[in-house]
Amino acid sequence: MSAVHSAITTAEQQHRIYKAFDWIIIPIVVLVIIGAFHIHAMLTMGDWDFWIDWKDRRWWVTVTPISLIFFPAALHYLLWENFRLPFGATLCCAGLLIGEWANRIANFVGWAYFPLNMVVPAEIIPMALCLDAVLIISRSLSVTGILGAMLWGVIFYPANWVLIAPFHVPVEYNGVMMSVADLIGYNYVRTGTPEYIRIIEEGTLRTFGEDVTPVSAFFAGFISVFAYFIWLAMGKWFSKTTWVKRM
Amino acid sequence: MLNIRKTILMLIAITVASIALYAAPAMAHGEKSQAAYLRMRTLLWYDVEVSTVKLKVNEELVMTGKFYWFYDWPANIAKPELAFLNIGIPGPVFVRKASYINGVSGTNSTRFDIGSTYEFKVILKARRPARVHMHALMNVSEAGPLIGPGRWVEVTGDMADFTNEVTTLTGETIDLETYGLENAVKWHIFWGVIAAAWLLYWIFQGPILIPRYKKVKLLGENADDMITAGDRMVGLVMLIGTLVVVTWSYYHAHSQYPVTIPLQSGQITIPALPDAARGVNAEVVDAKYRVPGRSLEFTLKVTNNTNSPIRLGEYTAANIRWMNPEVSTAEPADSHDPVAVNGLSYEGGAVMPGETKLLKVACTDAAWETYRLAKLIYDPDSRFGGLIFFFDEEGNRSVVAIGGPLLPVFI
Repeated sequence: MSAVHSAITTAEQQHRIYKAFDWIIIPIVVLVIIGAFHIHAMLTMGDWDFWIDWKDRRWWVTVTPISLIFFPAALHYLLWENFRLPFGATLCCAGLLIGEWANRIANFVGWAYFPLNMVVPAEIIPMALCLDAVLIISRSLSVTGILGAMLWGVIFYPANWVLIAPFHVPVEYNGVMMSVADLIGYNYVRTGTPEYIRIIEEGTLRTFGEDVTPVSAFFAGFISVFAYFIWLAMGKWFSKTTWVKRM
Repeated sequence: MLNIRKTILMLIAITVASIALYAAPAMAHGEKSQAAYLRMRTLLWYDVEVSTVKLKVNEELVMTGKFYWFYDWPANIAKPELAFLNIGIPGPVFVRKASYINGVSGTNSTRFDIGSTYEFKVILKARRPARVHMHALMNVSEAGPLIGPGRWVEVTGDMADFTNEVTTLTGETIDLETYGLENAVKWHIFWGVIAAAWLLYWIFQGPILIPRYKKVKLLGENADDMITAGDRMVGLVMLIGTLVVVTWSYYHAHSQYPVTIPLQSGQITIPALPDAARGVNAEVVDAKYRVPGRSLEFTLKVTNNTNSPIRLGEYTAANIRWMNPEVSTAEPADSHDPVAVNGLSYEGGAVMPGETKLLKVACTDAAWETYRLAKLIYDPDSRFGGLIFFFDEEGNRSVVAIGGPLLPVFI
């Protein structure tokens, strides 16, 4: 007779333990995602997302979707391949926004006294919902990578226009025309962020005149497709289980 | 035996106490840490004044002054092809209502000419109560911040009283402190609720990790069957709903704000002021820094092409002033304003109209050490710079930039 007995003897006990496992693991995963994704976002698109006067028609539109698809793609792989759960993108983006709002309110407003309307983060939930929805409808990471990731890049600007449009109303200020966003950036002194450091409206795309936004959005979607597949591979690598043969 | 819990708690308590006790407020902006050659041979500020050093929230302060882009610009520092007149303060204690360089609005970044002088004016409106050390500041692309003289300024009152209203070109008067915030928060909450509903739809399906993991491994290639038709319908509704809301919000914003412009990012070039030397030429014949005496000693060859005798009244570099009280006087504006009130002396007397003369000048003060300018002698190029101010009998001033190699004297 074996000396080792399982502590679980009934289906009810098993259900309780599975539930407890969820309650332990899910909050930890959420906190890790908030921290890791937030650091990634600050390092890759930091100022574009921090400041209202960086949210332009070209660089912000291009940089943000491309850099933000990394974590959702990796989590898509992990959660879909192992659990058939299709909410990786929404989990990532909701976690990031929780971290960003905490950061903006505590640091930018609480410590540095910037007005909150100057540092509102970009809206990224609609993109995440679309990516997750394409995954569950298609039940295919490949289709999600092609259609979902393209959609992810394309809808970023229209989804955010309702937030930033008020800040693009023109103002005459000391003989110069500025948008409200430019004026906020000028008024609220940032010693370490001079005007010229903004990477906005630069490059030859200006030859397209007013139509630069669709070009930028489709480019962002196009690159997001590639980035999605690269980060699916990263997700595969990170979610690989390797057993130690000998201690 | 060591109690681990007690030890950890004690370490945390010590750390917190140390931080709390030593969290001293920042007293300056690191200007002394910038290399001496950088402060002496890049941007030389002078005549910097503030209209008041004590004001209430919503009151205005005006900072004025001049700056000269030194002719002997260090080879390792990027030239001011792209620069922005700024203010060095800890966060937006003030809002910048206006800034001007030679009368031109400083909202845009600017290109400047080496060897030229410009005057500036910055109008600031007090936003929150604080006592801050405020600097004039020039950000130069690829070079970094070049800090001007600082002043202690105290703002009193209540930040809640502050408003920052402006009227747009579409006729709407808005407060920039809160404009657009309610709308942005509303949309973030709306999408946040949808995201939460989507996540909870899955999480509340019972234990989702271990059972689903086991089922995926069990079903293998048929694991997709775990997604029900109902799940897919929820996904379809979510996709269509999201696209409909995004499209509606986009066109709704267009109808609400029919006149919008892209962010503005032009650059301008501003012509320099006329030459402030007014016909006085001066060049350094030789220069020494006497380490034991904390004194810069140099011989100047001065030619006076004006109609009046001139005498040397001041030498300034790195925002420090060495005054010759027989010709020009100045007092420190506050405890952190470095003015050597008796710091400058020279031999040679007045330079008559049309005369060329050698003057032996000594600029002596402990500021050479306390402001870390003496480090100049350890620089790889060992050159100094600065501005000298000559005054004629009627008080007219000629400002001349000087500089050259510097030899240290250790004994």
